[in-house]
Amino acid sequence: MKTVIRTNNLSKVYKDAAAPVHALKNVSLEFIQGEFTAIVGPSGSGKTTFLNVIGGLDKPTEGSVVIDGVDIATLKESQLFDFRLRHIGFVFQSYNLIPVLTATENVSFIMLLQKQPKKEMERRAKEMLEQVGLSDKLDVRPGKLSGGQQQRVAVARALASKPDFVLADEPTANLDTESAFNLLDIMARLNKEENITLIFSTHDQRVIERASRVITLVDGAVAKDEAFDR
Amino acid sequence: MKTLLTISWRNIWRNRSRSLIIIIAIILGLMGGVFSAAVRLGTEQQQYRESVEHQISHIQVHHTDFVANPEARFRIAQGFEIAKQLTEHPAIKVASPRTVFDGMAASANMNSGIRIKGVDPDTEAHTTSLDKLIVEGTYFAENGRLPSVIIGRELAEKLNSGVGSRIVLTFQDIEGEIISASFRIEALYEVSSSRFEERNVFVRTTVLNSFIGDPGAVTEIAVLLEDSDEYRKLKDEIQAMHANLEVRHWADLMPALFYSLEFLDQSLIWMVGIIMLGVSFGLLNTILMSVLERIKEFGVLMAIGMKKTKVFAMVLLETSLVSLIGGVIGLLLSFGMVEYLYVRGIDLSSVGGDGLSEFGYASVIYPEIDPVFYFKLMILVVAFAVVAAIYPAWKAVRFVPAEAVRTE
Ligand SMILES: Nc1ncnc2c1ncn2[C@@H]1O[C@H](COP(=O)(O)OP(=O)(O)O)[C@@H](O)[C@H]1O
Ligand SMILES: [Mg+2]
Repeated sequence: MKTVIRTNNLSKVYKDAAAPVHALKNVSLEFIQGEFTAIVGPSGSGKTTFLNVIGGLDKPTEGSVVIDGVDIATLKESQLFDFRLRHIGFVFQSYNLIPVLTATENVSFIMLLQKQPKKEMERRAKEMLEQVGLSDKLDVRPGKLSGGQQQRVAVARALASKPDFVLADEPTANLDTESAFNLLDIMARLNKEENITLIFSTHDQRVIERASRVITLVDGAVAKDEAFDR
Repeated sequence: MKTLLTISWRNIWRNRSRSLIIIIAIILGLMGGVFSAAVRLGTEQQQYRESVEHQISHIQVHHTDFVANPEARFRIAQGFEIAKQLTEHPAIKVASPRTVFDGMAASANMNSGIRIKGVDPDTEAHTTSLDKLIVEGTYFAENGRLPSVIIGRELAEKLNSGVGSRIVLTFQDIEGEIISASFRIEALYEVSSSRFEERNVFVRTTVLNSFIGDPGAVTEIAVLLEDSDEYRKLKDEIQAMHANLEVRHWADLMPALFYSLEFLDQSLIWMVGIIMLGVSFGLLNTILMSVLERIKEFGVLMAIGMKKTKVFAMVLLETSLVSLIGGVIGLLLSFGMVEYLYVRGIDLSSVGGDGLSEFGYASVIYPEIDPVFYFKLMILVVAFAVVAAIYPAWKAVRFVPAEAVRTE
């Protein structure tokens, strides 16, 4: 099995606050290709910080992140932008989509930045939107979509460019229970079908049961790391 | 690039009213700028036309001492022959030999320092269109007992006399002896410059020459060219032929007018530039507002791998598009406005334009603007807009993605 991400003794201290905040403490984890991992923990436990650090959006105070054998600390800023573009898919809690682009255009956007051929791009965008059940919303702009539909477009976008892994920070936080389950079902299915490594954070106990691995953070440290056979 | 353009274009219309307000500000700024530019330009052009066509002509030739002492003593030897020879030059429309010197005009109760111009009525009509400037009386019909003089309306008012009145002109003959002679005012003329009207009186050369005692006297040759742009070349040519004479073109004679015309373009660009600077601050504010509203969006774009340079370019592109829309509409409307005013004229008398004639300005002006000027303005508008967008664009890319994607 191929290791996609490895973190070594990851620590993150926010020093700008009144008192330094230890958001991550000695986190050493490995993620294997095809895993569907949920990072859980109460608010403030360091889930977002962890995802930002392994996604190359934030720098650790100590320790390293190795993705596909590359220590991302060795990359220059512009290389890091490129690295994210080619290897990592992101789904955020909100502000995911470009409001002025249609669903199809949003899904194509990353492939466009990757300079993929136009024909292939359109085909793939349509395919992914079908996969997330939005084949009737291809030309609709985000403003006309519900929160759940918007997140499904974001998932389609993150997966369309076939990244090595997808990071999703509380993708269901703004959704009602039904939409949340629906979104996670789609993510779980795509994880199986496309064999893409998926790491998402949540503090919602109800959605955890979709994951094949659940890592619990408490005060920035790994408290539990359980695998489930689903 | 095409997608960037699409996104930028659609972003502009996201906040329709805000974009429209700034577009309208650009349009109004441009129209205001172009209007005032047109007024200035029209005024200067009119003044040039008036001065050159009705007063001084393109080139004037004198005896070298005449410039300092405009007296009959300093005549151009063989003046009539020289004028005739110049008239035959293909680039010269007409060369008018005159007998010109300073003197005094006196009516029963007033007197005034003047310049007396002895002219040949026909030649003068071709040179300065004096015949067309007559507003009262006849043009050298010499229908009185006394020889005729044509004076400006302003002088007539000053001397408290009119057509048919007698005035006495006093001047020096070729020996420097003082002569006084009575003339009858045959006509009054009007030009846009009241100073010119007050100073210049016209009589027949033959009459004046017999008074001063030299029938072949010429103190000034006024030269009107076929092509007004050739005045420098022709001045040099005439000077080369007549090294002993003083040859000056209109720019030598009216340096102030020359410089204001020469640098008019620049000064107008500056003027519009200052207006656009004001508009740019509004634009900066608008763009900054829209960038700050979308700061998370930009953060997400950078997080998913859109390079900072592209995000930066996107903000600049949006601003350029807004300014381009405003610029194109503004300049089209300005163009229409100027064309309309060119036909209709701008009547400045209603805003105190009557006083303008004292400075040689006409009170109704017909502005004309070179198309190149609009092109320069377009570049100016977009350049200002791009500069105004730099700070907001920098704000957009400075925001770190890690902060942008946090929702708290
Ligand atoms: N930019 C920051 N400056 C200071 N403290 C921060 C910053 N970002 C996060 N934190 C703190 O770090 C801790 C972990 O935060 P976070 O990773 O957002 O946790 P979670 O996503 O699990 O809610 C919290 O105590 C939070 O207040
Ligand atoms: Mg969080």
